[in-house]
Amino acid sequence: MNKWLRQDLWRHIVGISICLFALFPLYLVIISSFSSSGSLQLSSFIPREISFANYSKLFNDPTIPYLTWVKNSLLIAGSVAVLSVMIGTASAFAFSRLKFKGRKFGIQLLLLVQMFPAILAISAVYVIMERVYNFAPGIGLGTQPGLLLVYLGGAMGVNIWLLKGFVDSIPAELDEAAKIDGASEVQTFWLIFVPLASPVLAVVALLSFIGTFNEFILARLFLVDMESRTVAVGLQQFIGGQYSQNWGPFAAGSILASIPIVIIFLSLQKYIVSGLTAGSVKG
Amino acid sequence: MSYLIRGKIALFIKVIVVTLFVSILLLLAQSAFAQKEYVIATFLLIAVLLLSLTYLTKISVPLKFFIPGILLLTAFVVGPILYTVAMSGFNYKTGNIISKEEAIVQIKVRGIEPAPSGLTFDIKLGTVDGKPAILASDINTPEYFISTLEERIPLVASSLTLNEYGVAVEAPNFTPLTDSEFSTADKLFTGTRFTFDDQYFIALEGFEAGVVSQQILEFVPEADHFKNLVTGAIYTDNGRGNYALADDKSAILEPGWRAPIWFENYSNIVTDSRVRGPLIRVFIWTVVFALLTVLTTFALGLLLALALNKPIRGRRIYRSILVLPYAMPSVMSILIWGGMFNTEFGAINALLGTEIAWFSDPNFARVAVILVNLWLGFPYFYLISSGSLQAIPSELMEAAAIDGANPRQIFRKITLPLLLQILSPLLIASFAFNFNNFNLIYLLTGGGPRNELDGEIAGATDILISYTYKIAFGTGTQDLGLASAISLIIFLLVASISLYSLRKSKVLETFA
Repeated sequence: MNKWLRQDLWRHIVGISICLFALFPLYLVIISSFSSSGSLQLSSFIPREISFANYSKLFNDPTIPYLTWVKNSLLIAGSVAVLSVMIGTASAFAFSRLKFKGRKFGIQLLLLVQMFPAILAISAVYVIMERVYNFAPGIGLGTQPGLLLVYLGGAMGVNIWLLKGFVDSIPAELDEAAKIDGASEVQTFWLIFVPLASPVLAVVALLSFIGTFNEFILARLFLVDMESRTVAVGLQQFIGGQYSQNWGPFAAGSILASIPIVIIFLSLQKYIVSGLTAGSVKG
Repeated sequence: MSYLIRGKIALFIKVIVVTLFVSILLLLAQSAFAQKEYVIATFLLIAVLLLSLTYLTKISVPLKFFIPGILLLTAFVVGPILYTVAMSGFNYKTGNIISKEEAIVQIKVRGIEPAPSGLTFDIKLGTVDGKPAILASDINTPEYFISTLEERIPLVASSLTLNEYGVAVEAPNFTPLTDSEFSTADKLFTGTRFTFDDQYFIALEGFEAGVVSQQILEFVPEADHFKNLVTGAIYTDNGRGNYALADDKSAILEPGWRAPIWFENYSNIVTDSRVRGPLIRVFIWTVVFALLTVLTTFALGLLLALALNKPIRGRRIYRSILVLPYAMPSVMSILIWGGMFNTEFGAINALLGTEIAWFSDPNFARVAVILVNLWLGFPYFYLISSGSLQAIPSELMEAAAIDGANPRQIFRKITLPLLLQILSPLLIASFAFNFNNFNLIYLLTGGGPRNELDGEIAGATDILISYTYKIAFGTGTQDLGLASAISLIIFLLVASISLYSLRKSKVLETFA
């Protein structure tokens, strides 16, 4: 036994065993998505066959509007990401760069408001949107625009808070130079600040996208129609406790829906880890 | 680009955009006003005012940046929070959902009884001179008449067209409803009283039958009470959203309305053992669950961070595999785990060679919840622990090693205390997050298992937030008032925990 083995063996044992723990469900869901029987069965942990039946069922079975769900999720999460970052950046910029009365109070209020877990106000949101539905059926309860508005409002607190952290870290010299050259605050914002901050804004938008994509309970409460559901709600309702029957297509569907999120997440890992310490997005 | 920011074109675009938003909001305000949603209408009008003042005048530069965010936050976060506060002071549950005015109308409609004679008629719906009317037939007597809101017109059988059962289907001056009119008939005919005689009227039962009925509950607006015309009993406003007999509080008229009961929802939490009992059990499990989650995820994450804190071979591969659970959309992961715990077909039982009914036994269900949350959460603590480990100056460890400390002592006396100091705000934040980890509980166990026999809705793995959700949107009685009260208590708990941790992490001091 050499020194290397004595010193590093335990590290590899820990690493490998926890990797197995991490991979186990993922491995399982991948092999069951390729099995030909649609149900959840584990006669063996080694795949005997590779069949695309579950995937083709996902795209061809009219009772599973999977593509519509994906489209809904992308549309809703995408709009929330873009709009909330646009609106949030303006507020964050003002908090970070402008001097005005009540700034400190505003920040503290924002801190308090963004601490309120959205889910606690869910019954109030439900009742309010039910009332909105009475006079404006297009944006009330049960509609995607309504859900979008609720998401936007909910994302505001956290996003402004997160963006303010990022904006604070961008040096202010350029804005100040622009100001000396006679640019107004609005011009500084659009012509100097936004181009400078655009990579950061893209990161926050992507994080917001992931967060919204993952949101379940408001979407569940809002989107009742089969056709208007998001992927998360659709797949959950689809297996609806009957794991044994619809497991195969569910496995395939969740893999496909997860791939883009995992890719975005891994490519943004650096920012997410630093952002985690500032104001957590997910954990 | 810059012509979009300044100059005439920019001004033009700005005015168009502002006008567009303002007119949409005005339209909404108008229809909200028409539906008597005054609070919402007022909010919309204020929004219109703020938008036009801010963007069309030079009243305040910071407001130009804040207005969209402020409006959204107010409408969908601050508004609902205030609404929750308001709801928590109301008796607002199944049976007490509508307003008092609506409730009075409903009680009047429901407060009728068939007359002692028990007479019923076969009827056809239609109109006479454009007004709603019914063509009634008693095929036994036989007797026929048309009844409108004002009068009853007797008919002779010879002037009528009868069907095979002897029911009149056509009569002079009487226009039967066409099929298309039937769809809207509900509004016109249901609850309408057609003339029978001085004392009784005919109320519809469906669209085919009419029952000779009498009003037994009469509303007396001056006294604000209902009077039973047969027994003479008086139902007064009991102050809790129902009309009830003075001497028998349980004899209430349905439906009730949402009535202010101030702090009763809160005091019920303390005094009513049916509310308090399950709530305390759920609260204890919530704390245990959140603590165990933080402990297990932190321990496993730290172990990994320590193991991989040295540039060993394959560290990058380990790292990219280890963050996968964190990168997966959590809804999907939780549902996948749910399938794996399935008793008959699940992978866990297949792997262990057992036949455990994971979600039917309270303790196994709790173990499953913690295990799944460990899987979901350990990468987070792995990532931040390994970052923090690198932030600890290596001189400290080296000095200790020179003084003769062994690696275990170094870890216990130096590394761990320093790490805990750095990470304590995040540990607390993780506690606060898991305290409200609704998705996990809802998607994995649904809060179950629960004892269905005693009618209790709280299950063994229900945490406060999932229990509150059940109270508000469950299958039985939906109590929005109580749910709001509990929500606010949770908020106070979580907010104080988070504020404490923020103060510790000195975020508050960097405000200035």
